[in-house]
Amino acid sequence: MSTRSVRCEGLTKSFEGEPALDGLTIDVRPGEVLALLGPNGAGKTTTMRLLNGVLTPDLGTATVLGLDPWAQGTELRRRTGVLTENAGLDERFTALENLVTTAELRGMDRSAARVRAGELLERFGMGHRADARVQGFSTGQRKRVALARALLHDPELLYLDEPTSGLDPAATRDVVELIASLTAERGRTVVLCTHFLGEAGKLASRMAVLFQGRLHAFGTPDQLAADLWSDTEVRLDVGGPASTELLVALAAVEPVVQAVPTDDGALVRVRSADVTPSLVRACVAAGVDVHAVTPRARTLEDVYFEVEARAQAQGTDDGLGARPVAT
Amino acid sequence: MSATVPRREGTDWRVVRAMLRRDLGAIVRSKALLLPMLFLPTVLLVLLPLSIGLAANGKTVRVERALELLPERLVAPVLSHPPDERLIILVLGYLVAPLFLIVPLMVSAVTASDTFAGEKERRTLETLLHLPIRDRDLYLSKLLGGFLPATIVSWVGFVLYAVLANIICWPVMGRIFLPTWKWTILIFWVAPAVAALGLGVMVRVSTRVDTTQEAQQLGGAVVLPLVMLAVGQTTGLLLTGPIVSIVAGAVVWAIAAFLNLRGAKAFTRDRMGSRL
Ligand SMILES: Nc1ncnc2c1ncn2[C@@H]1O[C@H](COP(=O)(O)OP(=O)(O)OP(=O)(O)O)[C@@H](O)[C@H]1O
Ligand SMILES: [Mg+2]
Repeated sequence: MSTRSVRCEGLTKSFEGEPALDGLTIDVRPGEVLALLGPNGAGKTTTMRLLNGVLTPDLGTATVLGLDPWAQGTELRRRTGVLTENAGLDERFTALENLVTTAELRGMDRSAARVRAGELLERFGMGHRADARVQGFSTGQRKRVALARALLHDPELLYLDEPTSGLDPAATRDVVELIASLTAERGRTVVLCTHFLGEAGKLASRMAVLFQGRLHAFGTPDQLAADLWSDTEVRLDVGGPASTELLVALAAVEPVVQAVPTDDGALVRVRSADVTPSLVRACVAAGVDVHAVTPRARTLEDVYFEVEARAQAQGTDDGLGARPVAT
Repeated sequence: MSATVPRREGTDWRVVRAMLRRDLGAIVRSKALLLPMLFLPTVLLVLLPLSIGLAANGKTVRVERALELLPERLVAPVLSHPPDERLIILVLGYLVAPLFLIVPLMVSAVTASDTFAGEKERRTLETLLHLPIRDRDLYLSKLLGGFLPATIVSWVGFVLYAVLANIICWPVMGRIFLPTWKWTILIFWVAPAVAALGLGVMVRVSTRVDTTQEAQQLGGAVVLPLVMLAVGQTTGLLLTGPIVSIVAGAVVWAIAAFLNLRGAKAFTRDRMGSRL
């Protein structure tokens, strides 16, 4: 058995000759949230459809929950839950009916389905609208109902396509917490497509960045940052611009690449992040009081924009797209 | 990648039933679907016999003049009845017959055009494709979702028609003149076959267009010739022996089966998923 919930290699799909996904190789570990990031049209939704056996790739292979998504699609889809980009609810039915019919189409027993659907609607704050027609629902309300529907059969693997778009701040927080608890407490695996980098940063252990159908980065934000930037920056606050002697002393510290003066001290570029004690020692030795030392941490957001900028540059360079950043 | 060969499994009737319940439930709620489905049958199958029956009761309507315009084959059996009965036999016994093929064709056209194109239009298709329903079962349930209402409407319509016609025409006829054996074959054997034939075209059209309206327009272009054919041939069927009707029905069933099997084969998740 595979130690990965999802593993795919060289997944390629074109629509009418236009490549939508080109040679995607990624894996998802059990109990992990993997963030699929990328601008509009990058191929995130296509990836989810391929990995759930809805689309068949032109090239490439995949194993999802130990199954072949195309030869064993029905079996796979019994164990996956999907929240599609648009909620995909039937407007002619009520919220509860939408859930119950889906449960029945999944082979669940009607009465058991009603109970489970009722519970989930309650949990997503839609209990009071359970018997109202979906037609009048707001975007966020639809999304809540659709999310409840994706969880009806307690799937092992969840594909969530922009689960928080259209949700208000409180609902967004609820959904983020829900996803976190699904993985942390229940060991569920999640593939999360999102445009909200903060949310991805909070939830995902690893991220995959797609750009024009190609994978440009895949790994933890730290790994990716280390690959993208050979050095980081530390802001040193000494209560005024650093003197030339101090700058020289700082530059002499082992991993320091460069030190430039700022209004309240210096901006020090270093090759490794754990340089703070050495910098403080250098300042003290030079007779300077240190007010603050702030390493500038690379966030998932920094990583994403850097990857995207480089992808864009490479894309225009050779027109062939870029090699993914290896991790 | 595991080297598993897709197993050829039987139909999952539980899922098909669930889908039918969902789709038929939606039809019953949708005025846009229900009204055209009930309006035409009501006019054709209830109001028509009513007015003919009442006309025939009022006074003896001379049909001999009209008969001159009709083919000899049809005139002879009508003339073999007493003059009072001729109008009823001509219209209710023969001329109305094509309607019983047209009604299931129309009803199945309305429901079938709504199947996949309707799911697409309502943006529910993607969710459906992400469910553990095999391609075959999905196609089959949509096919049955068109076939069942058409057949039910035409059978219920026929029973109503026969009862009404017999009651209204009783003063003139003095006996139960419908259904005859040939009518029974027409309604319960030929009409469902014609509906299935129409569906073989309509469901497939519905997988290939984006809206119900397009499906109706495109499908209508195909179904209309079938309607013409039905109009031309049905009365003829009633005039020949029952064996001819049985054979004709079998031929239509065979063509319908062929079209539907081809449709089911051409239907793949990937193809549907690529048109989301
Ligand atoms: N069914 C289809 N037919 C034709 N082109 C398609 C189809 N589905 C996707 N594409 C194209 O493939 C590319 C990837 O689309 P995809 O929907 O996967 O992007 P995405 O990353 O989900 O974008 P978004 O963030 O806007 O949801 C796009 O260029 C899109 O136009
Ligand atoms: Mg998308």
